[in-house]
Amino acid sequence: MPPDPVIETRGIRRVFESRKGFLFTEKTRTEALRGVDLRVDPGEIFGLLGPNGAGKTTLTKILSTLLLPTSGEAHVLGIDVARDPQALRPRIGLVLGGERGLYNRISARENLRYFADLFGLPASLRDRRIQEVLDRVGLTEAADRRVEEYSRGMKQKLHLARGILHRPELLFLDEPTIGLDPKSARETRKLVRSLVSDGVTIFLTTHYMFEAEELCQRLAILSKGKIVARDTVAGLRRLVGGDTTVEAYGFEDSEIDRLRHLPGVGRILTEEFGPRLRLTLRSSGSELTAESVRAALGSAHPDLMVRERRTVLEDVYLDLVEEEAA
Amino acid sequence: MNAPGHPFAVSRFRSTAASVRLSVLQFVADPQWLIPSMIAPVIFGIVAYQLVLGSGPYFLVYAILGAGMMSMWGQTLYGSGWATGQDRVFGTLEPTLQAPTPYVYVVLGRILWNVVSGLVGGAIVYAVVVAESGQLPAVANPVLFVAMFLFVMVTLASVGVILSAFYVYTRFAGFIQNIGEFAFYVGTGCMFPVIFLPWWTNPISLVFPPTWALDALRYGSIPGYQGFAWGFGWDVVGAVATTAVYLVLAGLVFHRVERHVLEVGTLADY
Ligand SMILES: Nc1ncnc2c1ncn2[C@@H]1O[C@H](COP(=O)(O)OP(=O)(O)OP(=O)(O)O)[C@@H](O)[C@H]1O
Ligand SMILES: [Mg+2]
Repeated sequence: MPPDPVIETRGIRRVFESRKGFLFTEKTRTEALRGVDLRVDPGEIFGLLGPNGAGKTTLTKILSTLLLPTSGEAHVLGIDVARDPQALRPRIGLVLGGERGLYNRISARENLRYFADLFGLPASLRDRRIQEVLDRVGLTEAADRRVEEYSRGMKQKLHLARGILHRPELLFLDEPTIGLDPKSARETRKLVRSLVSDGVTIFLTTHYMFEAEELCQRLAILSKGKIVARDTVAGLRRLVGGDTTVEAYGFEDSEIDRLRHLPGVGRILTEEFGPRLRLTLRSSGSELTAESVRAALGSAHPDLMVRERRTVLEDVYLDLVEEEAA
Repeated sequence: MNAPGHPFAVSRFRSTAASVRLSVLQFVADPQWLIPSMIAPVIFGIVAYQLVLGSGPYFLVYAILGAGMMSMWGQTLYGSGWATGQDRVFGTLEPTLQAPTPYVYVVLGRILWNVVSGLVGGAIVYAVVVAESGQLPAVANPVLFVAMFLFVMVTLASVGVILSAFYVYTRFAGFIQNIGEFAFYVGTGCMFPVIFLPWWTNPISLVFPPTWALDALRYGSIPGYQGFAWGFGWDVVGAVATTAVYLVLAGLVFHRVERHVLEVGTLADY
């Protein structure tokens, strides 16, 4: 028996209707989510990737009770988000991040204190807990300065601190490391991992592929409101033709045919690259190597550049998103 | 210590107190608030005193009522809705609604603070008028006067709660409030007794709790005052009844409004 899922959605759709103009209004309809099915298990870091406007924030908000689905069902920690959001709220944390969403004229500590009270932290515990999260995100020194004096990254850290203040079972992180310097981003990833070892489940969106690859056990790729792939990183590599990638440059279509017959080739992608074609080959075995590609093309291009590397999540992402766009 | 999986129970009292505290902190941090809360009452007091100078033995009470109401009205009613509008502008409406405390307690805290600062405004007006005239105003029944003054605040607050819900409902609430402001101010009798308005406006005025309470306040402080024909007692009954209806309505409306914004997805608009 698999454990009860922390998040389970079925056919989530979300339509936004908005009006343009003043007197003669014109309705526009955006279908942000077009039937999303997801499952997140306890204790995992689940990553949601996808291009701008794919619907990541929309889905995050639906799962964290800030938006209702137009249709479909979502159960989070066993609670129907549309039916009983109030029961869910004390048990989840949400970090939407950004420049807004904080009281700028008061200090970080006062911001945290306010939300600690709204989350019901007992007075005996509150100040200690606030200090603890300030330490955890590295804001202790600036804690008593007004938030309006904060840099973007410092605000991001404060958002994070607020999200974990009440020790939620499930934490939603919408692009948590955006705007953070490399050291802070790394510390944030460390924090995320330490939360998981405390037993927290993480639902995370990001545009940083290495971050997703480093953190997430399982990933879903969302494109235009639909999940186009959902698997482990290894599974996703297989999906796009394997974990070895060889890049080469050719001029003609016939050269592609020659490569297609090489042993071990899972998939070939082509892309215009100036006057040339950039050929990307994926393979899952060890048969395909830079050498075998060079041998197949070599006579035509003595100065050929061939590069063999591991397939990274970015390759997978670009393949899948481009495929969806085509 | 709570491990993940053991959420805290929300305390409505602590949430309301936190909201009061936040209001005070924001007030202290932002000196522009000195204008409506401290400077405006002084000006209102001076102007009102000049306007009613020499109009009978109770002219000082007229001055205090006119100016005091103007100042309290701005603080209590306007301030309550405005704070929710600010939550939209700051982007704090989303995290606040995401917290398990029902938003109405946050509003309640703000209203409590606004009532206090409204009363301070009223006291400033009183002090200004007394200082200017060099005498204490003749009030028919001082106890009733103070009691009714507080009562008017409560009725204003009940309208403030509904107004806050309106600010959660739409980002255009401020625009609509600005249009309706003057009509409300005149229509409820803040400026002068409603009885001076055309008769057909009275039923509209009576929809608002402050109309009743303000009439009661005048009955209680000006001997020979000619307000609504039914007199002081029914004014109080009417004010209590309409205020109760507003508060019950607020409880219902907040729930519906929250549901509505989650449906249309306008929580982040500003
Ligand atoms: N409140 C809204 N009203 C109208 N349309 C909206 C609203 N919120 C989102 N959308 C639309 O829904 C789609 C998905 O937006 P969403 O913010 O979820 O994307 P995202 O994947 O988070 O993008 P990004 O990577 O840029 O953050 C977009 O087309 C967006 O314009
Ligand atoms: Mg987003």
